[in-house]
Amino acid sequence: MSGYVDVSRVLAARRGPPAALLGMAILIASEASLFAAMIGTYLYLRFETPVWPPRGVPEPEWLVPTILVAVLALTSIPVQLAWRSVRAGRVARARLLLLGALVVQAGYFLWAVHDFADQIRRTPITENAYTSIYYTLLGADHAHVFVGLLFSVWLLLKLMRGLTLYRANVTQAITWYWHFVNLLTIVVLATILSARG
Amino acid sequence: MAVVAPPSREAAARVIRLEQVWKSRPGLLGWLTTTDHKRIGLLYFWTTLVSFAAGGAEALIMRTQLERPNNDVVSPSTYDQLFSMHGITMIFFFIIPMTTGAFGNYLLPLMIGARDMAFPRMNALSFWIFLASGIFIYTSLFMGSAPDAGWFNYVPLANATYNPGPAIDFYCLGIVFNGIASTLTAGQFIVTILTCRAPGMSLNRMPLFCYAFLAASFGLLFALPVLSADTIFLFLDRNVGTHFFDVAHGGSALLWQHLFWFFGHPEVYILIVPAFGIATEIIPAFTQRRMTAFPLVAIAELLVVFIGFGVWAHHMFATGIPTVTMIFFAAASAMVVIPSTIQVFAWCWTMVMGGGRFRTPLLFIAGFVFMFVTGGLTGIMFVAIPFDQQVTDTYFIVAHFHYIIFGAAVFPIFGGMYYWFPKVTGKLYFERPGQISFWVLFVGTNLLFFPMHVVGLLGMPRRVYTYSDGLGWAAYNLAETIGGFITAAGIVLLLGNLFVSYFRGAAAGPDPWHGPTLEWSTSSPPPEYNFAVVPKVSSAYANWDHADREEDRRRLESGVLVLDEGHLQPAVTPVDGDLSEVVEMPHGSPWPIVLALALSLVFAMLVLEKYGAAAIGGILCIAALAGWHWHEPEEATG
Repeated sequence: MSGYVDVSRVLAARRGPPAALLGMAILIASEASLFAAMIGTYLYLRFETPVWPPRGVPEPEWLVPTILVAVLALTSIPVQLAWRSVRAGRVARARLLLLGALVVQAGYFLWAVHDFADQIRRTPITENAYTSIYYTLLGADHAHVFVGLLFSVWLLLKLMRGLTLYRANVTQAITWYWHFVNLLTIVVLATILSARG
Repeated sequence: MAVVAPPSREAAARVIRLEQVWKSRPGLLGWLTTTDHKRIGLLYFWTTLVSFAAGGAEALIMRTQLERPNNDVVSPSTYDQLFSMHGITMIFFFIIPMTTGAFGNYLLPLMIGARDMAFPRMNALSFWIFLASGIFIYTSLFMGSAPDAGWFNYVPLANATYNPGPAIDFYCLGIVFNGIASTLTAGQFIVTILTCRAPGMSLNRMPLFCYAFLAASFGLLFALPVLSADTIFLFLDRNVGTHFFDVAHGGSALLWQHLFWFFGHPEVYILIVPAFGIATEIIPAFTQRRMTAFPLVAIAELLVVFIGFGVWAHHMFATGIPTVTMIFFAAASAMVVIPSTIQVFAWCWTMVMGGGRFRTPLLFIAGFVFMFVTGGLTGIMFVAIPFDQQVTDTYFIVAHFHYIIFGAAVFPIFGGMYYWFPKVTGKLYFERPGQISFWVLFVGTNLLFFPMHVVGLLGMPRRVYTYSDGLGWAAYNLAETIGGFITAAGIVLLLGNLFVSYFRGAAAGPDPWHGPTLEWSTSSPPPEYNFAVVPKVSSAYANWDHADREEDRRRLESGVLVLDEGHLQPAVTPVDGDLSEVVEMPHGSPWPIVLALALSLVFAMLVLEKYGAAAIGGILCIAALAGWHWHEPEEATG
């Protein structure tokens, strides 16, 4: 695993953010804008509707989703620590941290998909405007977690073969992506739970 | 195609090394796999000219139909498709890709002293996606079911009940598809501007052209996802059975309009701000004078887009939204006048003080200022809510936005075509036919669009395929149609001039206008590596800083910042433009076009409602991305 020292030295000498990180910031900005439109739609429909959620549609569950979203959000910590390890040239530690986070994130995703399928079986998306935006918002959030999983798997495969400047840049960018997705999941959950009494 | 003849053998050897390193693959394969921003800019240019011709043909058919009362050149349903496709084409497939795709791609790296964009492969990807989305949406026309609910596609007219068939699905998917390309371009420009400037070019030394493109890119970045959400909702309503816009099930038809115009109004500024940027290049070149109030103009370019996000509901004054909302949006709309006027005064003052040489490019800019002010004056009238409610959906609106979009966005594009023609081709265009083409276009467009104000005030509604005799509209409509054909003749003259000049024009040399910015400091056409050395920059009008250009020659002699060991480019800090690191750039790749093809499969299968096949397309996209990132750039660590 030659090149640790070199990469961390290059990272330390760099004075501005790499293009990869700014590219990720752009992706995050556009995705945030997409979700702002969806959450705006949720609120718009909500304030146009006298009873929310409309009669016949169950209120969203809160306990299990809140706990699991909190667990997902906590994966920001190992992901951030993985980036710190990469910066220090400690690639083995970074891999371990990312793998640990990935296991939790994948677990969350599996629950999310199962729960989504379960809910939509009981109350279909075609019920009314509430269910339309509810499932679209939730599904879009889950899709973003899935993209994060793909990113992390790819990064881990790359880091298996040691550390390069390119991989360090990718680690930093994916760290930002996970922070964004975790924050997004909290915001989406808060929006959805706002329908409760 | 070397730059200024290098005096010493070492310097010449460096230039030869650069030429070898940056050499493109020859032939068609070279174009299909190119990542050179200049080639991508040219690909955009040719493609958007084709869509301009298509949008123009649609307009001429409409004008022929409206030339006399009770005409029957086209059927009402064809007419609906024509005006819808005209709007979609001109906005999404001509102006945005022409300004950002063609002008931005070709010129932006040259102006900031870079060798390429920040993400060259992503740049190629955005072009191929753009091309595929254009083919996608025009397929609907050849299938005889083009989108026909207007470019703003209001529900319930556009829902599955009132518009069955694939037309609106093509619209929804085509807009999202095209939006991906535009978002990639916007992100590309922002990152390129922030990290790829020549060291020393702090933000306050960046040309105004770049500020304009930065503003438009931020506009696209935040506005397009909202349109994507809107069209995805409609697609779901039509194909899955959701109820976003279905009032009977708790949805809202106005929601479509809110989301659409949240995108749609910033869109107007996204169209015209790059044109402002073109004006701020041409005016200094032909007055040999720096732009008056440089910082104010830079701020105004950004501000106009920013305010543009807070005015969308002025498109909805006739929909019954609450009065207090209307007053808020009217006041916000009035605010746009401030940054716009700052710019108009700065352009005019610089022209007046500089005593401009009114060659063709500057003539187009003068014409642009006239038409922008005219369109702006009618625009500000809509702030008066009762007036807006009176003229909404009449030809007065059509007149207003064509003065803005044709006058203020397309005229500078024409001016820019003439201005940078010598840079791109190395040839001079013919001046006299150029000036004639301006006057033909100026007369033609005013004859085409000015009478629309009058017929609008007389009550002629837009989007109606014909009108009865005896309403007093016939003479105006005939004049407009004549104006339309004069405009078309002007465009043919303009393009014909450039075409003939390409073969017969005199050699231009690197800097025929004594231009203000860095693109004029390199040869015409620029070499693949753009600059033999990373240029020294100490002002926004870098090409007029002769001492710096001398310093470039000394750098080439001594080998400082030549960076000829690979596809190297310096990266700088975003604000101060200090050298941060030297990075290896990708160069030529088959993956962008492969990924664009896989993505096309996804959209084609979606419109055919074959969702399983679309999912396979999605997996192919992921596989293409894996192939793309398989090989990492070579790094000089240690």
